[in-house]
Amino acid sequence: MAAIFPSEEWLKELEIQINVDERYSEVAKNWEGDLFFSIEPEGNLKEKLTFYIDLWHGKCRKVTYQPKPEDYPASAFIMSATYNNITAVLTGKMNPMTAMMTSKLKVKGSMGYMMRNVPTVLDFVRVAQSVTKEIV
Amino acid sequence: MQPILKIDLTTGKNEEYKIPEQWEKDFLGGASLAARILYSSLTPELDALSPEAPLLFLMGPMTGTSGPTTGRFVICGKGPATGLWAESNIGGFWGPELRAAGYDGLWITGKAPEPVYLWLNGNSLELRKAAHLWGDNTYTTQDKVKEEVGEKGTRVCVIGVAGEKQVLFASIMCDHGRMAGRTGMGAVMGSKNLKAIAVHGENEIPIFDLKTYKNLRSESNRKLRDDNEAKIIREIGTGGVANYAEYLGSLPVQYYSKGSFEGIDAVSGSKMTESILVGRSACQGCVIACGRVVKLPTDKFKRKGPEHETMVGFGANLLNDNLESIVDMGDLCDRYGMDTISASNTIGLAFRLYDLGIITQKDTDGIELTWGNVDAIEQLVRKIGARDGIGDLLAQGSKRFGAHFNAEEEAVQVNGLEVAYHDPRGVSGMALSYATSPRGACHNQSDYFFVDFGHSQEKIGIEFLPRQAQAEKSQYVAKHQDWRTMFNAMVMCIFANVEPDEQTQLINAACGLNWTMEDLMKAGERAWNLKRAINNRMGLTRANDKLPKALLEPLKDGGSAGFELDLPGMLYSYYEARGWDLETGKPSREKLLELGLDDIAKDLWN
Repeated sequence: MAAIFPSEEWLKELEIQINVDERYSEVAKNWEGDLFFSIEPEGNLKEKLTFYIDLWHGKCRKVTYQPKPEDYPASAFIMSATYNNITAVLTGKMNPMTAMMTSKLKVKGSMGYMMRNVPTVLDFVRVAQSVTKEIV
Repeated sequence: MQPILKIDLTTGKNEEYKIPEQWEKDFLGGASLAARILYSSLTPELDALSPEAPLLFLMGPMTGTSGPTTGRFVICGKGPATGLWAESNIGGFWGPELRAAGYDGLWITGKAPEPVYLWLNGNSLELRKAAHLWGDNTYTTQDKVKEEVGEKGTRVCVIGVAGEKQVLFASIMCDHGRMAGRTGMGAVMGSKNLKAIAVHGENEIPIFDLKTYKNLRSESNRKLRDDNEAKIIREIGTGGVANYAEYLGSLPVQYYSKGSFEGIDAVSGSKMTESILVGRSACQGCVIACGRVVKLPTDKFKRKGPEHETMVGFGANLLNDNLESIVDMGDLCDRYGMDTISASNTIGLAFRLYDLGIITQKDTDGIELTWGNVDAIEQLVRKIGARDGIGDLLAQGSKRFGAHFNAEEEAVQVNGLEVAYHDPRGVSGMALSYATSPRGACHNQSDYFFVDFGHSQEKIGIEFLPRQAQAEKSQYVAKHQDWRTMFNAMVMCIFANVEPDEQTQLINAACGLNWTMEDLMKAGERAWNLKRAINNRMGLTRANDKLPKALLEPLKDGGSAGFELDLPGMLYSYYEARGWDLETGKPSREKLLELGLDDIAKDLWN
């Protein structure tokens, strides 16, 4: 099932899909790290968007829609982007590695861990794209 | 720019050379300007290791200005292994110190009757005897020269024993292991009996509009600190891309014969960071700090750690997953003063020929060249540095080593320069980078693997295409080469993710120019064509634009298994994009005239 981004429904659907996707489960079996996304308003997004995804050993343990940064101060990674850039990644218009290498998607956290686990990152994006039915 | 100091080591005389103003406007500085200055000296007859051969140390207009990664300079001449245009880019602090001494270049010719070093203190130049330094390694030489000149803040460029013995891939080092590694400029320096150049200066480095420049550089450096790529390189070094490259199948394994390496996790930048990294080092004014400082459990002191090329060259390339041995091999090459890419590549060829039964222990001084044999690797490195036994053959590079055993086609090199560690079967843009680079199989004239990894450059029209796209990529590679040519002119490090419009603003403020981004790209194209013309004049033809056999065969495993490069198709589109003559591969007369290279057009086409 797919949902409209951004919405809490989309985030919940992403959690479900991550937990049933066998390929992701295999590729990400060693991944340990939660992600805090911070999306700057742009275009149709009028207010700042945040969401939290806790990924652990190929599964999603928890998601939270519109949390405050102080709710998850110890997130392994903080990902920041403008709305147009994050939606470009979710719709496949922008390669996720392009987004990262050109700093259109800013990453705060262990770059070493990220670079060692690029296949996991790319497969996470694949699942996220699959649940994105439409962009607001 | 400030004048160049011309020094004839045969006579000991020196004179100032004023760079023609128009050349500065057309070529800016660094390798581009060096190509213009040396154009008439680099003839087909010139022996690269003869007294007549020039060796030009040249700065860029931003060298030493604390701009984004602009502590760099270039060393240029004729390549002893390639017989072509040679340039090698180097960081550290030596370049800024030379500029502070009032010079933007040193143009060395001749040959000293006995080993010497140069001591340039402000505008005072001395040729000092260096027989007592001959045989010393690169670090010891720096220490001894600094002690002898006794001037605090002195910086020293040196060669090691490999340069003295004219190993064809000998390098020039300064500071904390910063290397002009490629194209054998250390051998040229050694052929002149020149062991070191010590410089000290106290002048302000000239900048046209200092106030504007300061604002621009602060903003650029601020952005650079926050840039993802810069953060990756700072945190885990250039070796940090190893895992991703292995995943894609663009990491050369077992001398370019395999596409995956089980031991990659043991010899990656991430592993080094977690295990033996104790610090980071930077060139003058650099906010990235790619340099690795490591300490092995058995080490008494900290030392330089390996970057990507050294890690792969002495790691996956030789099926070696022993990180500590890679640190040792990088350090050993540095101390001898030789390029780790060419050294490890040529050693890889020896291992391959041994594997194929083309050479045996009779040829290897009894050393068993089995893949991953760390002791054998170390013995070969030492033998190359000392030009001892089989090392004397290896010291001539892979092309000549292969040819000696009637197996030149096995050597993974282009025009005498060994291929770097980015397999074009995984990142296809590198096929053209290697085949058309003016200095042989070079990854720094266009590190297109970064684009193939995903780093597009929209502002100059370089779109992201699939990493194994072919002829449709050619026009983008040409643009990327033009752009990177400007990095080597400014001189700016290619690890700096500084956008071309920012660069244009920095150049204008530094030099008092009024360039647009199009002017920047045009200057890059001009210099690329000039270097091509130099090589055409020295005998390079379209037939030289090629790749070695190993890279044209599909890999059997890994992320790029089965992919076959269509090099002829890529080259055809490339020549079209360049405006080069499809028959000869020379820049067309029209292209040269369009770029304002009228005298070159006359030389090439009359």
